[in-house]
Amino acid sequence: MLKPILLVEDNPNDLELTLHALERSKLANDVIVIRDGGEALEYLNSTGQYEGRSPGNPAVILLDLKLPKVDGLEVLKFVRESSTFKSTPVVMLTSSKEEQDLIRSYELGVNAYVVKPVDFQEFIKAISDLGIFWAVLNEPPPGSVKAILKS
Amino acid sequence: MTLTDPQAALLTSCDKEPIHIPGSVQPHGSLLIIRASDHRITHASQNFSWRNDQQAADLIGKSLSDVLGVESADWLEKRLAASKIDVRPSYLGTLASTNARYEVLAHLSGASILLEFESLSEGADEHVSFFYPIVTKFVGLLAEAKSVEEMSFLAVQEIKSLTNFGRVLLYRFDQNQNGEVIAEITDDGYPTYIHQRFPAADIPQQARALYVANRVRLIADANYVPVRIFPEYDSITNRPVDLTYAVLRSVSPVHIEYMQNMGTLASMSISIVIRGQLWGLISCHNFAPQRVRFETRAICEQLGQILAVHFEAAEERAEFNHRLELRSTLVRLLASFSKSDNFAANLETVTGELLEFADAHGAALVLDDEISVFGVTPSISQIKDLTEWLSTNNQGDVFESDSLSKKFAGASAYADVGSGVMVLSISQLHNHYLIWFRPEIVKTINWAGNPNLKASAEDPARISPRRSFDVWSETVKGVSKPWRQSEIDTAVEFRNALLGIVLRRAEEMAELADNLGRVNKELESFSYSVSHDLRSPLRHIVGFADMLTDMEQERLSEKGIRFLKNIKSSAQFAGKLVDDLLSFSQMGRSSLHISNVDLNALVTASVERLGHEISDRHITWNIDPLPALEGDPRFLGLAIHNLLSNAVKYTRSRDAAVIDISGYEKDGNVVFEVKDNGVGFDSAYVHKLFGVFQRLHRMEDFEGTGIGLANVKRIIERHSGSVSAHGETGLGATFSFSLPKIHPQPPC
Repeated sequence: MLKPILLVEDNPNDLELTLHALERSKLANDVIVIRDGGEALEYLNSTGQYEGRSPGNPAVILLDLKLPKVDGLEVLKFVRESSTFKSTPVVMLTSSKEEQDLIRSYELGVNAYVVKPVDFQEFIKAISDLGIFWAVLNEPPPGSVKAILKS
Repeated sequence: MTLTDPQAALLTSCDKEPIHIPGSVQPHGSLLIIRASDHRITHASQNFSWRNDQQAADLIGKSLSDVLGVESADWLEKRLAASKIDVRPSYLGTLASTNARYEVLAHLSGASILLEFESLSEGADEHVSFFYPIVTKFVGLLAEAKSVEEMSFLAVQEIKSLTNFGRVLLYRFDQNQNGEVIAEITDDGYPTYIHQRFPAADIPQQARALYVANRVRLIADANYVPVRIFPEYDSITNRPVDLTYAVLRSVSPVHIEYMQNMGTLASMSISIVIRGQLWGLISCHNFAPQRVRFETRAICEQLGQILAVHFEAAEERAEFNHRLELRSTLVRLLASFSKSDNFAANLETVTGELLEFADAHGAALVLDDEISVFGVTPSISQIKDLTEWLSTNNQGDVFESDSLSKKFAGASAYADVGSGVMVLSISQLHNHYLIWFRPEIVKTINWAGNPNLKASAEDPARISPRRSFDVWSETVKGVSKPWRQSEIDTAVEFRNALLGIVLRRAEEMAELADNLGRVNKELESFSYSVSHDLRSPLRHIVGFADMLTDMEQERLSEKGIRFLKNIKSSAQFAGKLVDDLLSFSQMGRSSLHISNVDLNALVTASVERLGHEISDRHITWNIDPLPALEGDPRFLGLAIHNLLSNAVKYTRSRDAAVIDISGYEKDGNVVFEVKDNGVGFDSAYVHKLFGVFQRLHRMEDFEGTGIGLANVKRIIERHSGSVSAHGETGLGATFSFSLPKIHPQPPC
């Protein structure tokens, strides 16, 4: 079974556009939508409302930078410091080109950093590319279940 | 000084002469000395003769009644008992002997009472009766007088009319105890001494002490024959009689010679004593011998005391007014410092006050190597030398001199403008000074005789008074008006105020820096929010418009599709505006990374990038070799790219676009220039060209957010350079910037 894509996004418009983009890229992975940073940590730790969730790591985490409660950088930090998830690819999605965010994200070990372009077509393309690369094409680190391409 | 004193010229020799115990009296009166305990006579002057048959030697050991007769002795005893006899002579009244009338004075000296008998001329009044109206009138006149000189003149006039001396003058002593004649009145034939100076050596120290103790002194006839006192030594103390307070005290032979040299036989002096110091003297001279009876002398003494009180008050008033004026100037000076942060520029606005404050002709503000001058001063390099000398030779807060060249030889070159200086050291750490300059006053001092010729020409060893009182002029150079204590005191206040201002300003600067830091932080977080939050909704509009177009194309009318397209492009444009604005603000905030910059490479890279975008156009690039310089290559690359893409954009309508790129060095600056043959611009609006969101063309003609040139300006200004533009509508445009070849270090 394909590992899910974890999408952490609080803005409903962005959420809808991103889901649309993912849909257009025709990935077979499930998409688990999480609406804030705190919830993301609960999911990853299988606590709170995600207590007893089906085990396993997501194929890729698409993480918005600005999130309620716990922001994207903190979630990223947690992922990189956790023994379970430290190899899980994380893609930072953000509205801004602010240098400081970019630098901080790479310092914390992000795998990709996407500034959401104003042009929607570009966005669709970027999301598709990322999804395919991380969810399907990328060789997972040892120990994780190999992704199987849906025919 | 000279004219009336018992001693004359030679200070060092004269200072040793025991003038208070001459052993003799002047002959216009006679002396009896009695024991205070039993009133027995112990001494008598050789001329004492109440009755024709009396000899001084016969009187010793006798009682007063033995000598004066019972009646006169009774009168005298009664007067002595009624008067409070102390060390200053008291006037007991007049007493007649068989052949003369006397004014009788008594005073105490040790265990003795000195009785002095001054003979009265025939027909003299019993008393001087006009004492009260004279004093009243004089005090009234003094109250109206405005200056010390005016009061002095009133005094000499009054004394002359009281005493009938041929010449009456008033000296004032300066701080070196030289006397200067400030008021004089003379009869015909008397030489005048007005404004002349008498050297301090003319009055020996012990004579000064006598002047303070004994306020009126008369020598009735310089040709007198001194009368010895018998016996010469006191039988108990075995010392000569102390005549310090005796009005008849005989005069030093040196002084007699001095007076004879002056040509006047009679003299009288009245001391003016202020705060216990001999401030001045009223000196009276007469060619012929001249008597002044005791009561008149008492009035003169009184007038001298009244005068002293008025002088003291006038001087204090003048000093007070002077300090008041200084203070008000000081306040105006200090007020100027609120105008701006530039100390030197502030002083420039109050040059008048600055100079007036110190009664100076010039001033200089020295802040290490930066020297600003005001008014008439030595040259900058001379001031530099002076401050170097000051920094090694003077540690105090204030240094002042009225003859700088005596202390610092280098100052003699500018003695004319800077003989006098007052220097405030206004920093503990730096060579920061405020200096005032006073010009030289070439003074001609008229001495009454050459003060240097004191010894006798024939016999230098002999004590001898001056021979000549002819005016002897001395020219004093390299000296300015002296600095008054009030000026120095107020300068110290000025310095303290300045340091206070500097400290406060430093605190304000620190606070301002804090505020700036805070505002900058706020601005950063503001633009951060803008970049995230303002961009998102624009993206959503574009995204949903796209999705709508995608999904519902068939069902939309042509107009509907066009509207959707407009919505999308407007949102896209708004997004670009936000992006440009953010990059513009980043341009101001990001720090510069300075290195060597190759402009040629930056131009080549930019032209290549543009080439991709405009492959369909024909553009001729004329690119000259460009000079190297220091700067941030990333930012300068952005500025150049902005200029080049502008040139490309505005030559769009030209079939054969020509863009010239050139650069050169001038005065340590590198100038970079881009010239095109495009549509140009209306030169009337050139000042708007580099503003944010300023456009000189219609949106339909030339796209863009209007931020490109603002970016260029900001980048160049952050490199301490400047931008400029020239152009005419339809005739192309030239944009250039100029910036230092070597990047200046930012001020700390």
